[in-house]
Formats: sequence, structure tokens, C-alpha cells
Amino acid sequence: MSIIEVQNLTKYYGKSRGIVDVSFAVEEGEIFGFIGPNGAGKSTTIRLLLSLIRPTSGKASVFGKDVTTHGPEIRREIGYLPSEVFYYEGMRVRDLLNYSASFFPGDHSERIAELSDLMELEMNRRISDLSFGNKKKVGIVQGLLHSPRLLFLDEPTAGLDPLMQRKFFDLIRRENARGVTVFFSSHILGEVQRLSNRIGIIREGRIVEISDMRSLQQNNYKKIKVCASNLDAAAFALPGVTNLQPENGGLQFFFKGDINAVLKQLGSIPVEDVTIEEPTLEEIFMHYYE
Amino acid sequence: MNIYLRELKASLKSLLIWCGVMALLILIAVSKFSAFAGDPEMLKILDTMPPALLEAMSLRAFNLTTVTGFYGVMFIYFGLMGAIAAAMWASDSITKEERDKTVEFSLVLPVSRSRVVTAKLMAALTNCVLFVAFTWGVSVAAVQSYQPDAAYYRFLSLEMAAMFAISLIFLAVGLLLGCAMQRYKVAGSTAVGIILAAYMLSIFSGMQEDLAFLKWISPFKYFDAGEIYRSDQLDPQFLALSAGIVLVCLVSAYLAYNRRDLYI
Repeated sequence: MSIIEVQNLTKYYGKSRGIVDVSFAVEEGEIFGFIGPNGAGKSTTIRLLLSLIRPTSGKASVFGKDVTTHGPEIRREIGYLPSEVFYYEGMRVRDLLNYSASFFPGDHSERIAELSDLMELEMNRRISDLSFGNKKKVGIVQGLLHSPRLLFLDEPTAGLDPLMQRKFFDLIRRENARGVTVFFSSHILGEVQRLSNRIGIIREGRIVEISDMRSLQQNNYKKIKVCASNLDAAAFALPGVTNLQPENGGLQFFFKGDINAVLKQLGSIPVEDVTIEEPTLEEIFMHYYE
Repeated sequence: MNIYLRELKASLKSLLIWCGVMALLILIAVSKFSAFAGDPEMLKILDTMPPALLEAMSLRAFNLTTVTGFYGVMFIYFGLMGAIAAAMWASDSITKEERDKTVEFSLVLPVSRSRVVTAKLMAALTNCVLFVAFTWGVSVAAVQSYQPDAAYYRFLSLEMAAMFAISLIFLAVGLLLGCAMQRYKVAGSTAVGIILAAYMLSIFSGMQEDLAFLKWISPFKYFDAGEIYRSDQLDPQFLALSAGIVLVCLVSAYLAYNRRDLYI
């Protein structure tokens, strides 16, 4: 059974598009990266899964339970870190965390102490006095204090300094090693690349690709640079070649398909230098966005 | 329980302000009353005024020179304040979560929306009970020097029951507006607008015979102080109507909030 299962999920806000016909599944223990530019529908998808908003059509289930009918039950085992954290301004950090913990059965004081220590929280500060980054740190502790089975992170690193980001990623990796499934949305590819096993790419409300990290980088595309004198671009206009462009007296392109076709072509001309490499996620991403 | 307690704490300041204003209103009014307490000249002056005006101010039903009659005139202010406070508490407790963008925290906790609405409703209801009780207490204390008779206490208890009933109606209306309005930011001011419109209607319905049907529309007319004084009870017909309005508003509020899209 998948931890998250989304089938043909569609959400319109009145007439404006949220997401259209989105389907994917996230398995237990995965870190699933969800990438797309601003306004692509990442937060909409997460809010649908948290039953903050109701789908226009389609179905979504978490832990095998439908999100529209079993919201409270599902949320007992979910942790959520929104991109921007808002809490009751007048409360102190300690009270806010205890208030949050009071909704989950069991005693969480030890875990609160441990997490807030790690995140260097000042427990007696008022929420209204905290900076954006410090609120985010409270959000991390609040999202994790009840040891959820599934974590939703929506642009989680925004506002955190690099040191905190590293601590945060270590924490997420540790949670993941304990078996926690992570759904991680971001438009920063580097961090998704570092953390995720599998990614989904969303664009203008629709999923354009779901693939595991490795096959996305290895099996799909190669980035090829060729240097040669009197190089004729037309020679590389093979099927599977995209983004063909001159660069520093040579050529650069992406290739998807049987690599032998390119090698044969390379063998037929005198080349000075060739590099064949994995494209970065960034480049794959830009490719999907053109 | 935790949501309820947090709501109470969050609205405590507002409750104290409302109580302060109410105490001030009663004290100022009672000190004005001292000017015509037991003064027959006052009645003569009132007799020269046009009847429609007196009706509008509900001065016709009461003998303003007795403390009971004076409280009959005061009732509309209690009703208005109770209504506005109740509507604001109810609508604000719901809409502030979206306005302050805290829905992404409070509704991601493992609680159903119905439970959230119930807790907030209970907190607003508690405020209403406390507000009426406070008004009652100050009223008793403020008129002690006029040695009120048993009839005054009886009438005051009916007035406070009526104030509570009006509060309940607008509590439910406020809750519904907070839960259902897409433009949640104006829910509170819409509620106050409805209350003032209802108040105006209650005045018009008393001024002209052919506008009498308006009394069915305005909750302020369900509990008319003059009528309560004459009949020595709250009209059961209007009590039933009020209960019906409260019920419809509450059920609609729950339904609307459960279907609502919450986003910031």
C-alpha cells in the first residue's frame, strides 16, 4: 500500500487553475521531491492532502484513507512544515509547542526538549518577537514533535541560514532512516537533488514527469559537448537530440536515446574534445520548463 | 477543551472591554436618571412629545420616573450591545484563523472542523453568558440607592433573559457569517450591519401600523421591553422563532465550514 495515493486530482479556485488531473503515489520510507516553479500547484497539492481545501474532482488518500472523509485521523500521524509559518502571535514558543502537543496522545515533552535544543530555540520568546527564520525553526519542532509517520515540507529551507539548513537536512535524513516518509516540495533543485529518492515535476498544474532520481539523471538525458574545427551543427541533428547550440567554438546538446547513434556520428568526424556527462537536475528541469 | 480554553484566553481582553463599556453606560445612565427620579414634571414634558417619537424610544410604555420604567427604556441598549458583542465574538473567532493565517497550523492538527467550530462557539457562548451576568450584576448594584422593589428585580431578570436570547440569535448569525462568507474579512462588519438594520426595522415597525409586519423580521422586536413589561413574560411564539433562527444558522455554519476551502 502506498502512503500517499493521488488519482486524477483536480482543483479549481473558481475559474482559476490550481492543479489538473494530478496522479502519483509515494511509497513508505521514500523521500519524494516535488518540484515546480512558483504557482505550479505544489502548495495546492499539499493543502489538498492535508484537507485544508477540497478537491474539485479526483481522489487522494493518505495511509489508505480518503483525505476528505478521514482528515483528522490522517493528520494524527502527519507533520507539516509550511513555507511560511504563522502561529498565534501572543503565545510564547513553549506554550505554542505544548498546545500543539496536547492534540496528540502521549507525552512529548522529551522530544520537544530534544528538538528545540537541536534547533536552538528560545522557548520563552513570544511568537510575535521572532524573525522569519526563527518562526521556521519553531515550525520544524512543531511539525516533528509528535513523531509523525509522514512529513510534508513545503519549501522548507526558505528563511533558514545555511548552517540551520544543514542541521535541518540531517534531521530529515535521520527521521527518514527511522522509516518516516517525506513529501518535499521545492523550487530549489539542489536541495531536492541532495535529499530525494524520487521526484515529481509539476508545471502549470499538471505533472510532467515522475521518475526516480537516478533514472532521471542517468537513463534519460546526457549532456554532450563536442569541440572540433569546422563543426557542422547539422551533423548532430539526430533523433533524440535537443537544445543543440554552439558554445565556445563547439557544440552542446542534450541527448536521449541510444548513445551509440551519437558515438557513431562522433567517430565519423575529427573531434578535438568530447565530454559526455549527467545533466544536473537544474538542466533537466529547465528542459521541462521550456 | 484546549481549543476552548485558548479561545477564552484570546478573547478575554475583548470581554473586559465590553464589560467596561457596559459598566460605564449603566453608571452614566443611572446618574442621568437621578434627574427625573420621582419628578412628576418630567412626565408632563414627555406628554407634549409626538407619540411616534415616544414609541420609537419606547418611552410610551414606561413611566420614566420609576427605576423599573427607566430600565425599560435602557433595554434596547443592552440588547444592541449584547447582539454586537456576540456577533463579533462568534464571527471573529472563526475568521481570525484565516486573517492571521494560522489555519495552516490550527487545522492541520488532528481535529475535525466541527470540533473546532464547537470549541469556538462554546467560548463565544461563555463570553455572552459572562457579559449578561455582568450587566445584570452592575444593574442591581447601580440602582441600590433608589431602593428598587420586587417588580424591578422581576423585570430585570426578564430583560436579562431577553438580552441573552438576542445575544444567542446574533451569536449564531455571526458564526454563520464567519463560517460561510468567502470574503471573511468583512464578516464582522456585515454582522454589525445586519444588527443595525434589524434595530432600524424594529423602530419603523413601531412607528407606523402598516409597517407592523416588520416585527417578524427584527429580533429586537421579538423582545420588546414594553411588551415584556405588560405581559410579564417573554413571548413564547417569538422564543420559538428565535430558537428556530439559532438552529438554522448553527447547522448552516457547520455545513459551510466543513465544505470551506481554507487557504492563505
